[in-house]
Amino acid sequence: MPIGSGQERRDEKSGMNIEPVKRKVFLLLSLGLIFIGASQLGAQQPKAVTFLTWKPNQPEVWDRLIERFHQEHPKIRVQVQVGPHSSTEYHAIVTQRLKNKDASVDVFFMDVIWPPEFASAGWALDLTPRFSKEEQRQFLTAPIAANTYHGKIYGIPSFIDAGLFYYRKDLLKKYGFDPPRSWMEMLTQGDVILKGEADPSLYVYSGQFKQYEGLVCDMLEFIWSRGGTVLNPAADRVLLTDPTSIEAITFVRDHIIGQAAPKGVVNYEEPESLELFIQGRAVFLRNWPYAWTVANDPDKSKVAGKVGVGLLPAFVGHSSASALGGWQFAISRWSKHLDEAWQFVQFMTSTESQKMIAFLAGRAPTRMAVYEDPEFQEKVPHLKAFLPAFEKARPRPMSSLYPMISQELQRFFSRAITNKKSDVPALAERASANIARVLQMEALTRP
Amino acid sequence: MIAKQHRLSLVLISPALLVLVVFIGAPVIQSVSLSLHRIVISLPQLQTPFVGLANYQELLHDAVARHSFWVTIVFVSTTTFFELALGLLLALLIHRRFPGRGGLRACVLIPWAIPTVVSAQMWRFLFNDAYGMINYAIFGHRVTAYVPWLAEPGMALCAVILADIWKTSSFAALLILAGLQIIPEELYQAARVDGAGLWRRFWHITWPLVRPALLVALLFRTIDAFRVFDLAFVMTQGGPADATNVLQLYGYKKMFIEGWMGYGSAISVSVFVMILILAIVYVRIVGRRLLEKSL
Repeated sequence: MPIGSGQERRDEKSGMNIEPVKRKVFLLLSLGLIFIGASQLGAQQPKAVTFLTWKPNQPEVWDRLIERFHQEHPKIRVQVQVGPHSSTEYHAIVTQRLKNKDASVDVFFMDVIWPPEFASAGWALDLTPRFSKEEQRQFLTAPIAANTYHGKIYGIPSFIDAGLFYYRKDLLKKYGFDPPRSWMEMLTQGDVILKGEADPSLYVYSGQFKQYEGLVCDMLEFIWSRGGTVLNPAADRVLLTDPTSIEAITFVRDHIIGQAAPKGVVNYEEPESLELFIQGRAVFLRNWPYAWTVANDPDKSKVAGKVGVGLLPAFVGHSSASALGGWQFAISRWSKHLDEAWQFVQFMTSTESQKMIAFLAGRAPTRMAVYEDPEFQEKVPHLKAFLPAFEKARPRPMSSLYPMISQELQRFFSRAITNKKSDVPALAERASANIARVLQMEALTRP
Repeated sequence: MIAKQHRLSLVLISPALLVLVVFIGAPVIQSVSLSLHRIVISLPQLQTPFVGLANYQELLHDAVARHSFWVTIVFVSTTTFFELALGLLLALLIHRRFPGRGGLRACVLIPWAIPTVVSAQMWRFLFNDAYGMINYAIFGHRVTAYVPWLAEPGMALCAVILADIWKTSSFAALLILAGLQIIPEELYQAARVDGAGLWRRFWHITWPLVRPALLVALLFRTIDAFRVFDLAFVMTQGGPADATNVLQLYGYKKMFIEGWMGYGSAISVSVFVMILILAIVYVRIVGRRLLEKSL
């Protein structure tokens, strides 16, 4: 509190000629000041690195890693502060604290869509001097690109996510199908399987279509796999009104929502969509890598051992696309322990740590070398099998105002697919105009 | 002497005033000032220029804000109407003397005592399309007939409204019950002697005398309903297709998710002004009538 302490000092000076009656009040006030000062002193312990993280699914894994770090670096203590589980809520906490130049956060996580925002706002430390190009080449290219903004790098990838296509191996085999390569093929196979199984509660497809960030990922995958996109490569023109994008969105509205997938998916996030699949009520599912472990856990899943996984289908004549996800370590620009923070981040993103996170938390490494490791291939063969999807993964629009663009996209997609009679081109027109205005606002910051 | 007393009374109310100024006055002024600037927290290069009423001007032309306004109006009017009607029924019921009345009165308060976030989560599970109790209660094992309540825009709004009615009717009941309890028992006895039936006793004694309490409940409920946020936030996040995107939720998204502090503040200040106007109208018209008639 730099502003507060300035005022406090002024009060003390003028306190010299205060009437005796008011002395008690003054005494109380000064006691309070001393108290505040003391607590600030306490917060500035030497060599303590504060790591603000989201609430992890398996906290014990992260605790073990930090314990190891303490053994290797006895002079540094890591204090963990746990924030909310959801990415959006965690974003609100992190931005609030960094916006206020809060020096009590040293290291934090960034979702793959945050680096441009955190770089432009000046919250994330520019790591280019510490994180050499040569070192960067050890990592998968997509997450490195996502952490780079105007030629500088702001985060070190911890683990990677990408949209994957899960299917019921047993059902496909029973009807003599190979995993579908196109969306149309998926629908045809689904029709045959549904007729054959005669189970009224069985659906063809399950995914995430609620009005939230996940909707953007799912819909972009449909648009990309039809050859469309949201922004042009220079990120200054909106391409939502292109016929390719319109066609992909209309396909989802007419053939997925309430058809291949239950109507309820428009209120589904990841857990609900996975639930349908592991209850044996969907033949195909779009989800992130974490779903593999859950779907094959006999305690939670009715389809354990009957699950296959691969690349998402595409439209005929186009190639599959999956949305890039994952988390990065970043260092706050207001941190007073840069060297200690850097050592901690280096440790957490080392080959050894990434292996441990993969084995114990099931998270996919971002270092390419880990995928060649024999122990890795033996213990988590499925992560190795996901590698093609990780290499193909595409980032969502890169913008320092991504949260605004995402809100517009969520609104547009949700309106377009929820109502069977929606006027997709008109909605796309409106969304494009709104996103163009956001881009204009961003352009104001460029010289 | 009088001046001294006056001074003492000022001293005595000053702590309360201070609390009001610090916790209500200051944040309101802060919000108003934020709403007059262009503040985008992820673009500090833009500084925070004073833009006058530009945010409000933009708000007037914002189709989503207009939509959110109507969603809020529908929510406020339907929830208030049903909460007062149900609250009156409940109050009449628990006002009668019967064995176990104390227990029932306590039970009526349970929905009100549950934190909104918890009850919203509960309703979200109840309305679930695949394993929700509501579908099970209506359709049993006929899974194909299950309705995805929260997936249809109209029904999603109804679901949020229902959850609010369930939760706050008991609060209205409590206020109305207080009104019922001050009606003297003699009036009913006299009416019975005159041969008035149940309906006439209600219409000529209970209704006019309980009306002031009803009006107080109306005031509380409309103002409170305008501020709805948590129910929609937990149950639907404003979706599907913005069907439950109430104004406060829209403002929250602008401010904390998009980081557009100025514009978000303009939304919350607008809600504040709407509530303020409503409160003034109530206190002026309803309050005067309430005083005259009840005396």
